[in-house]
Amino acid sequence: QIILCFHRSFEYSQKHAVLVPVAALGVGGMLVFWMRSRNRIKILEMGNGWWGSGERPLKGREDRSIHPFKIETSDKEIEDLHRRLDQFRYTPHVEGAAFHYGFNSSYLQKVVAYWRNQFDWRKQVEVLNKYPHYHTTIEGIDIHFIHVKPPYVPHGQAVRPLLMVHGWPGSFYEFYKIIPLLTEPARHGLTEDDVVFEVICPSIPGYGFSEAPHLEGFDSIAAARIFHKLMSRLGFREYYLQGGDWGSRITTNMAQMLPQSVKGLHLNLVFVGKQGWRRLISIMLGAYVPWLVGLSREDARRIYPFMQKNVYDLIRESGYLHIQATKPDTAGCGLNDSPVGLAAYILEKFSTWTDKSFLYKDDGGLESKYSLDELLTNVMIYWVTSSIVPSMRFYKENFSRDPDLTLHNR
Amino acid sequence: KFCSSLAGIMLLEVFLALGTVIIYFLFSKKKEETLSFKEGWWGRGQKPDSEEDTTIRPFKVETTEEELSDLFRRLDQARFTEPLENSCFHYGTNSVYLKKVVSYWKNQFNWKKQVEVLNKYPQFKTKIQGIDIHFVHVKPPRLPEGQSAKPLLMVHGWPGSFYEFYKIIPLLTDPASHGLSDEHIFEVICPSIPGYGFSEAPHKKVLVGPFQFGILYDSLILNVTNFNHTLFLFICVPFSGFIFSHMKGLHLNLASVTNMGVIHLLSILLGRYLPGLFGFQDEDVKRMFPFLKKGLYRILLESGYAHIQATKPDTVGCGLNDSPVGLAAYILEKFSSWTDMEFQNLEDGGLER
Repeated sequence: QIILCFHRSFEYSQKHAVLVPVAALGVGGMLVFWMRSRNRIKILEMGNGWWGSGERPLKGREDRSIHPFKIETSDKEIEDLHRRLDQFRYTPHVEGAAFHYGFNSSYLQKVVAYWRNQFDWRKQVEVLNKYPHYHTTIEGIDIHFIHVKPPYVPHGQAVRPLLMVHGWPGSFYEFYKIIPLLTEPARHGLTEDDVVFEVICPSIPGYGFSEAPHLEGFDSIAAARIFHKLMSRLGFREYYLQGGDWGSRITTNMAQMLPQSVKGLHLNLVFVGKQGWRRLISIMLGAYVPWLVGLSREDARRIYPFMQKNVYDLIRESGYLHIQATKPDTAGCGLNDSPVGLAAYILEKFSTWTDKSFLYKDDGGLESKYSLDELLTNVMIYWVTSSIVPSMRFYKENFSRDPDLTLHNR
Repeated sequence: KFCSSLAGIMLLEVFLALGTVIIYFLFSKKKEETLSFKEGWWGRGQKPDSEEDTTIRPFKVETTEEELSDLFRRLDQARFTEPLENSCFHYGTNSVYLKKVVSYWKNQFNWKKQVEVLNKYPQFKTKIQGIDIHFVHVKPPRLPEGQSAKPLLMVHGWPGSFYEFYKIIPLLTDPASHGLSDEHIFEVICPSIPGYGFSEAPHKKVLVGPFQFGILYDSLILNVTNFNHTLFLFICVPFSGFIFSHMKGLHLNLASVTNMGVIHLLSILLGRYLPGLFGFQDEDVKRMFPFLKKGLYRILLESGYAHIQATKPDTVGCGLNDSPVGLAAYILEKFSSWTDMEFQNLEDGGLER
């Protein structure tokens, strides 16, 4: 009987023995599924597009070649510029205006005098050509980019591809000083063990030497997709990204589209998307107990007083954004015809966006951080390519479709 | 007896109280809120101690060959940017149409002839608070017996000018010749707002707003009219409605809504479903709702210019002062959209209609 009981209990426990692992498997399986679904990244749809004028060619017939090119200028171009600078019509500013009404017209006269008499565009074109430039056609438009490879690779080091994207009113030229530190760190006092990059800086379609889209709808997602195609055409499957201003939006989209290709993303402008109750409360409390909501002293100094520094300042500085996001063709028309107007419009941003306190200076503090040669070379890129209007259209294409850009923030 | 005297006293008290209340209301109603008259100085440098020159000098618009050839040179060298396919006027002034305008401007528009048109009404300049104020002053050619002309000040807006009134002036100064009754005859004064057209621009910042211009106009009228400022009418276009003590009447063709209260909010939320409750008619409902689309988004879509001009005027105007084509594109876009929003769907912005 004891044996029978034992036997029966053994059978019973055998049943349990099977059930437990099965149950464990079931629960375990569910756990794994739940954890994986939480971690599964939501990807941005890549889609496709065509921005060229005229008929779209059949699939597979698009020209995928990459052409090197050099930036050129001519006597005619320089004479035309000089004539326009000479005929500039000046409006006196109100007394004591500094930069509060926009670009100070007295200082503008000095800039124009330098531009006319000392700025050497031919020399600056040589500076621009020191890195190799290329053109390639993607989705119907010519995409311009510079591609700088390291001159030598230290033993055992892998060269990492890095795509750097500019914003408005900047250009690929903004990266010229940092490229040597990325491609040849050893020569610039950085250690041998540092990573070495090969750098690609494209021009956003509609900016500089990249062709402007001919059709409506070219937004940052389209730009992101085109840049992925560019990197793929150059033979890269994995790469790093850097972006500021529109470049920040575009590179973020790129990471959202093909996360497996983007190994790292560095942004020097971050868009704050998610607004919620927690944020509101931490803003309200942060003025009194910053440490409670995770703000350092410097953070608190910069954020408060909140209305003044965030709301009023934003309203004061976003007029350009408002008009460019609604009537770009009107806003840019005169600027494409008057180089001085173009310079005033662009350089005002280089002043205020470097340091807000520059608004109080009669010269906008520009030459305290930059040389006129550097500033005017950037302006000349917009001038010689007539790209100010398409560059402004990018604002309308991005904001009118999705005013608070929520697609990117999900 | 005690009762009757008490009742009598009470009645007296009631009458006194009522009387006081009535008198109070009668007098308080008369006291209107007016904006206080402030003195200003907008000229260059310090205000001089000497008396201001109050003479009124006649003025004629002039042009020169140099001015014309400079204009043609700028028109010839204009650089246009191709519009996006099928974008009409949605992105602003369409540059394909703009090229046609520039071609007309170069080849057919006759500025000398237009200057003569401008000079058909007598114009003057006078210095007020340090700056030269330009104005047109048209007196009626004839007055029926016993009638006096009513002085009428008409103020333009942006991006308009005194020229916008040229077609209506004859109907106001000489109604009889235009088939209208001559019960009301006006002498019309159209100034240019300081900083606009032929009026000098203020050299000082701060407080240069419609209020200050109102004071300027008042001084202008006091200088200009021979009347003891008893009869005085006022017509305004954007930017210029302000109440003065001598005003007999005010006509506005753009009214700003400033006082937004709970009732206004409710009318926006419920007006679509209960129009009668808020006094809306069918046409009102058609124009106002859906509110977000027709109200808020439309305002956002059209107010970019206001935003940048209210913050960085010297930047945005710089290029426009240098490029006549850019200036035309900027101004004509408003003449298109502000005449009819639907014109944005037309390739030519409906301008020549």
